[in-house]
Amino acid sequence: MNRKKRAQIHMTETIAVLFIFFILVSLGIVFYYKYSQVAFKEKQQEILANRAIETVLYTLFLPELECSKGEAESEDNCVDLVKLHHANNTFLKHLDDYYFDLFSFSTIMIHQTYPENQTWTIYDKKKVKTLENGTVVPDWTTKLSTFTVITLRDDLAIEGRSVYDLGYLNVTVYS
Amino acid sequence: MGQQWGKNGTKAGQKKWQKRGQTEITFNWLYILIAGGLILLFFVGIVVKQQARSETQLSFDVVRILESIIKGASISEKTKNSIDISGLKDYTLYFSCEEGVSKYGLEGTSAQVEDVVQPVFSPTRIKAPRLNLWSIPYKLPYKTIDFLFVTSSTTKYFFVGQDENFVNEFFSQTEKELSGKKEVLFEIKRDFVTSVDVIDPEKYFHIRIVDVGGNTIKAGDSVPQKLRSLEDGQVTAVSFTAGNTADFFQKAGDTWMKRNKQPIYLISLGGERDAAKYAAIFAENEELYTCNMKKAFRRLQYVSEVYLEKLQEMEAYYDTPLRQVNYPDCIGNIKLFPTNLVERLELFQNKIAACAATYPEATASCTELRPLALTIQELNQELARNCATLY
Repeated sequence: MNRKKRAQIHMTETIAVLFIFFILVSLGIVFYYKYSQVAFKEKQQEILANRAIETVLYTLFLPELECSKGEAESEDNCVDLVKLHHANNTFLKHLDDYYFDLFSFSTIMIHQTYPENQTWTIYDKKKVKTLENGTVVPDWTTKLSTFTVITLRDDLAIEGRSVYDLGYLNVTVYS
Repeated sequence: MGQQWGKNGTKAGQKKWQKRGQTEITFNWLYILIAGGLILLFFVGIVVKQQARSETQLSFDVVRILESIIKGASISEKTKNSIDISGLKDYTLYFSCEEGVSKYGLEGTSAQVEDVVQPVFSPTRIKAPRLNLWSIPYKLPYKTIDFLFVTSSTTKYFFVGQDENFVNEFFSQTEKELSGKKEVLFEIKRDFVTSVDVIDPEKYFHIRIVDVGGNTIKAGDSVPQKLRSLEDGQVTAVSFTAGNTADFFQKAGDTWMKRNKQPIYLISLGGERDAAKYAAIFAENEELYTCNMKKAFRRLQYVSEVYLEKLQEMEAYYDTPLRQVNYPDCIGNIKLFPTNLVERLELFQNKIAACAATYPEATASCTELRPLALTIQELNQELARNCATLY
């Protein structure tokens, strides 16, 4: 009887040790999983922020938009208004086969604030998905907007000289 | 059991119980070994899996950073960067371009970047502690895109032949740049030699010979003695021949092998900082060169579309009775004169599309791009006198 009891106690002890051991292992796995999730989200945010900066820089230096000056270097943070009136046609025409590789899922808007309020959307491609019933719904979880002050050069405003208006570039990236 | 032991307390019974006890102890140890082994195996499995995952993750991270560096350098014009990549000394970077898609990454890993937009001219393989990046704008005649030249501290360029102006210009463009703390900001290893026979490969990973005169490197000629010990892919050459063309060579045993069947036509306006010519120096072979040039032509098509529409708006602006009187040259240069921008730009646009399809063959469409671009440049200069310019 005594031996049986001792063996049972021994068995219960072993089970308890194993139970605690597996609880510790499970806790470790849960903790690691949570940590990985947070780290993954942080990395996604970092990548999104980098993409936002890259897209802003790409837009500011786009030959399709920038204020060129003959053979000289282009003007910094300046958009040619006449080119701007037409650039979105080209962007739209070659969106899927070319410009998507440059801007990915993003919306690029140029706002004129002075002398008039005007907005041009030059590129717009959001992440979307089509449901079974055919409805198209947004498929992005995070978006990040960046604003940059720019000048808008109008070469056809007054004969003989260029006029500079004020505005800002709004780039929104989605992931 | 305890009761039995009490009843049968004989010697034989005692022995039997001792045997049982020994078996139980052995069984316990076996149980511990198997269970411990299984637990250990479980953790070893996790470690091995994590190690493999970390290595893959690391290669993806490295390639992502490399992509950021390359994109960052190519966004703005005239960027000169020297990047310390000594942490990647065990890896070899590779660059390729096929059917308009550039691919680069780390050899031996699945991580790679694919890029259909940015023209990147580089050696096909780089193993070095420093990466040098240089971007210059490609203008035909207006800015189309920035060409990115990628080279390394273990690639050396040897210039040979008679075109002193070009060599001097290239050397002044690629002067070593140091920061205040004497840290290298940008450095392209290059040298001028009077004969290829004096070239010493030292410990460079890649030797590139640039024959600016076009008559030093010939297919079938012997490779300099000192370069014969290097692998075929480590010794390459470009030769600029008459008529604005280039030939690409590679060491094949002890002789030079010409890689391109037809001379590669360089499409540019010429002059200083000729991006198309510089690109031929940095692109290791004709495949990399033509593939990346095709990317540039594609962008040129799209940029020209915007300029064509801008020109139409300019035409509408100047085509009024009052402005026709006050600014006759404006509408004249835009569309009324025999040589006018609308007609030239439309023709230019058609030629680009045709050339992009046939390049690198020197078809009429490709050879006509340069004179057309020069005319557009002249007309734009005419407009600059008194009117709004095209670019």
